[in-house]
Amino acid sequence: MTDWILFIPELYTLAAAGVFFFFCLGRARPGRDYAAAMVLSAAGLVLTVCSAGFEGLIFEGVYRVDLYSQVFKVLIYSGFFLVVCLCADLSGVDETRHSEFYLLLCLCTLAMMLLASSVHLLTLYISLEISSYSLYVLVYLRRGSSQRVKPAFQYFVMGAAASAVMLFGFALVYGAFGSAHMAELMHQVPARIHEPLVFTGFVLSLSGFFFKLAVFPFHFWAPDAYEAAPHQVSAYIATASKVAAIAILVRMIALTGGQGDRVAWVLIFVSVASMTAGNLAALIQKDIKRLLAFSSVAHAGYVMIGILSANAMGYAGAVFYGLSLMVMKFVCFMVVVKASDGGRNIDTEALAGLHHRAPVLALALLLALFGLAGIPPTIGFTAKLLVFRAAMDQGLLWLVIVAMFNVVISLYYYLLVLKAAYYTESEGRPREVALSVPLKCLAGAMIFLMVAGGLWPGYMIVLAESMTAGLLP
Amino acid sequence: MQMHAAQFPFLSTILLICACGLALVLVLPKNSNAAVKWVSAACSAAALALSVFLFVAYDRGAGGMQFVERLDWIPSMGISYLNGIDGFAAPMLLLTGIVFFTGVVSMWELDYRVKEFFALFILLVLGVYGMFMALDLFFIFVWFDVSLLPMYLLIVIWGSSDREYGAMKLTLYLLAGSALILPGIIYLAAVSGLETFSVPALLENASFSGFEQKTAFLLFYIGFGILAGVWPFHSWSPTGHVAAPTAVSMLHAGVLMKIGAFGILRIGMFLCPAGWMYWSPLMAVLAVIGIVYGVMVGLRQTDLKFVIGYSSVSHMGIVGLGFATMTVDGVNGAVFQMFAHGIMTALFFSAVGHIYDRTHTREIGELGGLSAVMPAASSYFIIAALAGIGVPGLASFWAELLVFIAAFRVYPALAVISVGVLVVNALFMLRVVRNTCFGPLSPRWAHLKDMRFAMGIPRAVLAAAIVFFGLMPFLMYDLIQTASVPLIHSLGPAIGHAGPEIVETLLTKLMSVWP
Repeated sequence: MTDWILFIPELYTLAAAGVFFFFCLGRARPGRDYAAAMVLSAAGLVLTVCSAGFEGLIFEGVYRVDLYSQVFKVLIYSGFFLVVCLCADLSGVDETRHSEFYLLLCLCTLAMMLLASSVHLLTLYISLEISSYSLYVLVYLRRGSSQRVKPAFQYFVMGAAASAVMLFGFALVYGAFGSAHMAELMHQVPARIHEPLVFTGFVLSLSGFFFKLAVFPFHFWAPDAYEAAPHQVSAYIATASKVAAIAILVRMIALTGGQGDRVAWVLIFVSVASMTAGNLAALIQKDIKRLLAFSSVAHAGYVMIGILSANAMGYAGAVFYGLSLMVMKFVCFMVVVKASDGGRNIDTEALAGLHHRAPVLALALLLALFGLAGIPPTIGFTAKLLVFRAAMDQGLLWLVIVAMFNVVISLYYYLLVLKAAYYTESEGRPREVALSVPLKCLAGAMIFLMVAGGLWPGYMIVLAESMTAGLLP
Repeated sequence: MQMHAAQFPFLSTILLICACGLALVLVLPKNSNAAVKWVSAACSAAALALSVFLFVAYDRGAGGMQFVERLDWIPSMGISYLNGIDGFAAPMLLLTGIVFFTGVVSMWELDYRVKEFFALFILLVLGVYGMFMALDLFFIFVWFDVSLLPMYLLIVIWGSSDREYGAMKLTLYLLAGSALILPGIIYLAAVSGLETFSVPALLENASFSGFEQKTAFLLFYIGFGILAGVWPFHSWSPTGHVAAPTAVSMLHAGVLMKIGAFGILRIGMFLCPAGWMYWSPLMAVLAVIGIVYGVMVGLRQTDLKFVIGYSSVSHMGIVGLGFATMTVDGVNGAVFQMFAHGIMTALFFSAVGHIYDRTHTREIGELGGLSAVMPAASSYFIIAALAGIGVPGLASFWAELLVFIAAFRVYPALAVISVGVLVVNALFMLRVVRNTCFGPLSPRWAHLKDMRFAMGIPRAVLAAAIVFFGLMPFLMYDLIQTASVPLIHSLGPAIGHAGPEIVETLLTKLMSVWP
């Protein structure tokens, strides 16, 4: 019975989803929904942080609670909380739908928490599906525009296809080993990864996670979905959802024990392809959200470098990269939400004169963009250093050079955004960017986090290393 | 490498002064332009004073790394905050101090977004200082990037002609350089098998194979070489210099290009001597192409800043040639040239900036006879031009002399070509001086006033430094010698074509002229 204590954060989130479910039934009161979401997500975040030390195996060994999963839950929950912080101006979503919006957000968070702890292929599959289905609907929630139908549908079809392929892969793996418990697979997979059946099953089963992380051949939904979704949902996809995808991908790759050469080559291919494709496509984007979507694709490629290195530093690097992406992407979306008028999409030019309309926000944006471009001393640089160091330990000098040239390409479009914010003067009277005091504090905290992650990353690196230590054989 | 721990963390104090200056500038209210300028000036003067102190206090008898300070930073990755200066770094600190101070004073008349300008400018200098004193690969890279990034905003906001293009080109080129440096750094740290990024530790304990050294050296050579203006990676430099505002051009051509050369020296040549030896013929050829190319393209330019920009390419070629000789003289000359060229270019850009502020043109054809109305401004311009030519009695003469003495021994043919080209350059520069400062005065400029005394200070400081080290080159030479002799000797007898004897006797004779 004591085991249930380990499950408390998840139960709490389920209860929070229940609260919003009841709100859905009544009359629409956006103010109440927002306040409830703030309180519930903040309390949930505190609860998750408190449960960070939990450890154990529950539900007959299919659900593993350890430092790795708990820290990821904290990250996912922080993503949820941060996104809720942006919801004060939720004008992208119809007012009658606000409680449903929060309900789905809650469910999605819950599913991702389950994902971080899943150590059985079925739990994994089910939680991945729950989170994806919530997102399919969330993308569709955008107010008004009829443009949202196609991307949302496209997102759904692609997601369904990816998960079908993944399920097929799971079936093959199960067929080969007669077990779907990761703990058991972990002992058997490394020795047999070169068998065609196991190899095929394994690579196919990665497709679902590739879809979630928007890695190259599975990324086509991302720009359209980002563009069509309400800003907050795009922010959620770019932060919490990516972190969850990294969590589970690291767990899956750790299954192979880093022994599979051929698996590594598959991963190297998707890594190079997605950073190159993402960066080149981002060069010509006008809409900021599309630009951020393609930059996410590119970053998925960099994360893959850490994952495919399959050593302690690589896993720790991937985890750290997840954290850094969350912070930097969140800041970008905060700017998008604040600078856009009535939840409409904005071009890069809309940021003109941001440096005197909202100096704190502009500074945060500067650091976030430099961080995304991997420039020291920001958190993004530390993340890149870790994954590159891991790849170098595997002797992949050329891969690191390719990645660095991709970074230079990406710098071009980040600088264009920066130029808009700092150099271009806005024509006429620009809309004021009103930043409430709490949001200012939030921006300040993000600035601190980005700089601290670049200057004093020691503590965070140690945490990431001890988290992933259990994954190694 | 001998390490002498510091009694007092002077090096960090310099960084701290810059950081405090930066913080102060940031917290000052928006419209307090004068306060911002005074804070920046005070900060730069303090940094200069400390740099001069370190230059003088460096114990030339003891040599090695001095004023070493150390702090564990990220122990799990073997990264430490490790600073120290040797005979190569001390002149560079002095150079940075001088250019920082004079740059701040040169921008005294700025009145557009003053606070942001000086904040970015100090940040840039902070990176430069850090880079010259850092001995940990991680920090070298961090400082390197810190010194590059403010550049984009500095050029795009306060720049002049074609600034958006120039700024973007410059930033992308230099970051492409760092795209090679970072893999190189991580590569060295990974193949060494030691959990450390510290240069002295790697130097002592790591043994890199020939292949590793060649690979890494090439990465560093191209990566830092882009910043050092090595042909064919130089093309960002003239456009960038032209687009940048005066102080930024000064700092950029004067100090930032030296960061590139210094990076090759500190990481490439110290850690990968076999790679240095292997690639030195390539370095020599590229350097001479740079010298010839810079001069030849410079001949066709009509914009004063382009003239200086291309002459920088050829002067940095001399630095590269000095490194490529792998001799004590060559390295001495190269480092001396880094210093001399830094001061000289800063003076050049400063003088041209002043002329441009008054006349709003940099076309040589439109200027003329300026010495009649602006005698002080013109004389600084002429001193810079003479230093650029390498007239005896000015600092760059000694630098070029040392490099060419070494080059004649090692690469005679290449040395002949470059000396010949430099003579052409001398003729051309003299013509530029004549067309700008002498000849008939255009009535358009007749009303111009000469430089105010205060505005003359930075130029006077720079000109004084050129003349001072031109008359007393041994002050600089002795210092560089303490680092270059151990470096070349550590290469073993197979390399190191010649010792310092010949030049030393030459200098001793010259010094005997002094009482």
